[in-house]
Amino acid sequence: MIAARRSPTARRTRPIIVTSVVAAAGLLAGCSGSGSLLDAGNDPTTSTVATTTSDDQGPGSGGDSSTTDSSTTRAPTTSAVAVSDLAPCPTAALDAITDPVEVRFWHGMNGVNETAIDALVDEYNAGQDRVRVVADNQGGYEAVIDKFLQSSDGSRPDLVQIPEYGTQVMIDTGAIVPAQACIESSGYDTSSFLDIALRNYATAGVQWGLPFNLSDPVLYVNTKILEAAGLDPTTLPANFDELRATCEQIVASGAAPTCLSLDSGSDSGGGWFVEQWIANAGLAYADHDNGRTAPAEHVLWDEPGVVELVSFLAGMIDDGLAVYVGDNSSGQEQFLRMVSDQPAAMTIGTSAALGQVIDVLGGGTIPGLTVDDIGIGPLPGPGPTPTAVPGGAALYAVAGRDDAVVAGAWDFMRFLTSPQAQSTWAQTTGYIPVRSDAAELDPIASAYRDDPRYRVAFDQLVATADAPLAVAPLLGPMVQVRAALATAMAEIYGGGDVTATLADAAARADALIADYAARNGG
Amino acid sequence: MASERVEATGIDRPPRGFRLVARYALLGAVTFVVLFPIYTMVIASLKPGNRVLVRPLVPDSFTLDAFRAAWTDGHLGRFLLNSAIVAVAVTLFQLVTSLLSAYAFAFLRFRGKRLVFAVFLATLLVPVEVTLVVNRRTVDQLGWINTYQGLAAPFLATAFGTFLLRQVFLQLPKDLRDAARMDGLGHLGFLREVAVPLARPTMAALVLFSFLSSWNQYLWPNLVTTETDMNTVQSGLRMLRVAAINRPNLVWAGTIIAALPIFVVLLVFQKHLIRGLTAGAVKG
Repeated sequence: MIAARRSPTARRTRPIIVTSVVAAAGLLAGCSGSGSLLDAGNDPTTSTVATTTSDDQGPGSGGDSSTTDSSTTRAPTTSAVAVSDLAPCPTAALDAITDPVEVRFWHGMNGVNETAIDALVDEYNAGQDRVRVVADNQGGYEAVIDKFLQSSDGSRPDLVQIPEYGTQVMIDTGAIVPAQACIESSGYDTSSFLDIALRNYATAGVQWGLPFNLSDPVLYVNTKILEAAGLDPTTLPANFDELRATCEQIVASGAAPTCLSLDSGSDSGGGWFVEQWIANAGLAYADHDNGRTAPAEHVLWDEPGVVELVSFLAGMIDDGLAVYVGDNSSGQEQFLRMVSDQPAAMTIGTSAALGQVIDVLGGGTIPGLTVDDIGIGPLPGPGPTPTAVPGGAALYAVAGRDDAVVAGAWDFMRFLTSPQAQSTWAQTTGYIPVRSDAAELDPIASAYRDDPRYRVAFDQLVATADAPLAVAPLLGPMVQVRAALATAMAEIYGGGDVTATLADAAARADALIADYAARNGG
Repeated sequence: MASERVEATGIDRPPRGFRLVARYALLGAVTFVVLFPIYTMVIASLKPGNRVLVRPLVPDSFTLDAFRAAWTDGHLGRFLLNSAIVAVAVTLFQLVTSLLSAYAFAFLRFRGKRLVFAVFLATLLVPVEVTLVVNRRTVDQLGWINTYQGLAAPFLATAFGTFLLRQVFLQLPKDLRDAARMDGLGHLGFLREVAVPLARPTMAALVLFSFLSSWNQYLWPNLVTTETDMNTVQSGLRMLRVAAINRPNLVWAGTIIAALPIFVVLLVFQKHLIRGLTAGAVKG
């Protein structure tokens, strides 16, 4: 840097020059720091904001009275609440309007699924003239949750799609109109909805979100490799033991260098799938029946049964039967491994990726692999037969809006969950229709009949017993808790000790839960 | 440059021709490392969709389909416009605020100048992450979510620019200032007629720096936009990536489109930069 020798203030400024050189060095460091932050996406803010906003911003939002309740008397949201205490849903208000109302709708659907949701929005807007829906893709589920929690009342949308792991935090914001209020005020018939889908977003008599898109993880298999290994591609492994036997044969026969591609993403192999396996083993993810009979205080990841099932997966990697593909930030890594130079024969992915997989293979982008070479099987687990904890997302009307806007949002929710919309949606995306009568309507009815791959996720969910632990865990800081488990799974898949790593992660998760409870008056 | 002097020490060196070859070989290797990824990106963006994952480095057929699709399906036009508006505004404001504050710190005498300047510089030590959440809330409370002012506001002034230009101003001879005053130039007149022309190379550097960092922003625009129409080009690229999983050539084409303005700005201002630097060198 330049010394200010000729300046009249030279003598006096010298100490500052020193400071400024130091500052410039700091700047360079700061620059590289901020650069990598920008590149890294919005992760750094995620945890900070999500854990702090529900108490900070909740009061500024929606019905103030109900928010106050949520931090005092309504903290145990798992106990019964009178619907009259909650934000009302004036569904009749739409009949009184003179001008169309605009409903802003935030969702987290990408790729083929975004195209499909846009098509439904267009169809709805074209089919009536009272409500105009404007859909905004926020880039993914976590982005939707983050932005919703970060936003002040005025910046929030009128309708939002929130995944099942955001249910508790949505309840705790007090900023939503429970679907229950709308169902009751409009007399909406939910009898043909899948019971397990409804229960996923309900606590003790209150339906909070209206299930819209329903999915569960399934096994994606390269049938060519199975055939090359002398296996029947129509009979896929139904549990861990069969999975291991199948994989041993594939690797031993040399049909593929490795069998199962595993990731440790929060929304996939490190979080969501583990929740599936825990439930499949008949175990609980957290105490108080996964937080559904009372607010959860502890996760139960260090229980012997969980350690055992995670050890099985780690053993698959140790024995060269499975390959670990990282934290799957793109959500596609585990699939891409199936088409790499060292292809894996199978992987686990959400059924909601089926539309995308078929689209990619149908486009001929992957040489040597066609749509017909992909087989879909249920998710093998530690239990004897496959089961599923419903994933996906529900719709929430936002409180504190004009009556007509809330009514408009509800009208659109009814459209999105109508049998025809659900059938079309399921056929393009691979999601499971939330209601059984949709499954009997075309186009999904013929897809189920002609292409059994579409049906696997549906059958798996319907076959799941009506057990309290068969629905998603209900934890306030579920986004962060999931991330804690995903970090642990990454360590374990990388060779870490199963028992110790899970115990550490469980302690971290318990701290998150306690912190959340303290902030939200629990 | 240094090698000439080393030669004079008499230590045995390889012959000149060999060193020239070695030097160019090294330069060539480095150039290859830098340019190869860009080459593959350009090539991949020009391949037809179903040939993208096919190996050959020299494609057998070319098409501009990917560019067309990235532009229309990816709404890149709108996103580029947003980015341009924000980047130009940020750059202009940073230039003006930096010039004025640097002038004050360099030429004016006022109580507490050292302290104020120190505080100014101290802001450089505060990482972006620290102010992110607070800024997000402020912008939200102002009702500036999904607006250009919301995208640009936190970056309209920078202590870095102030510091940079102040250093240049401090270098200007006191006589210049006195002569200008004799000629009847006030503060703004001196700034406009004398200080700014002499600080031009540094200003060019600042413009480049401001424009680049604003153009390449990802996190902040993501935090303050919820409507697709207000996205900047970097988040647009991300959307393109998730939307076009089966069309990677689209993403590459989009990346090239997004990088073009940066190339242009770099080319334009590099000339200024070099011209300014040489002008300064003979100033004496």
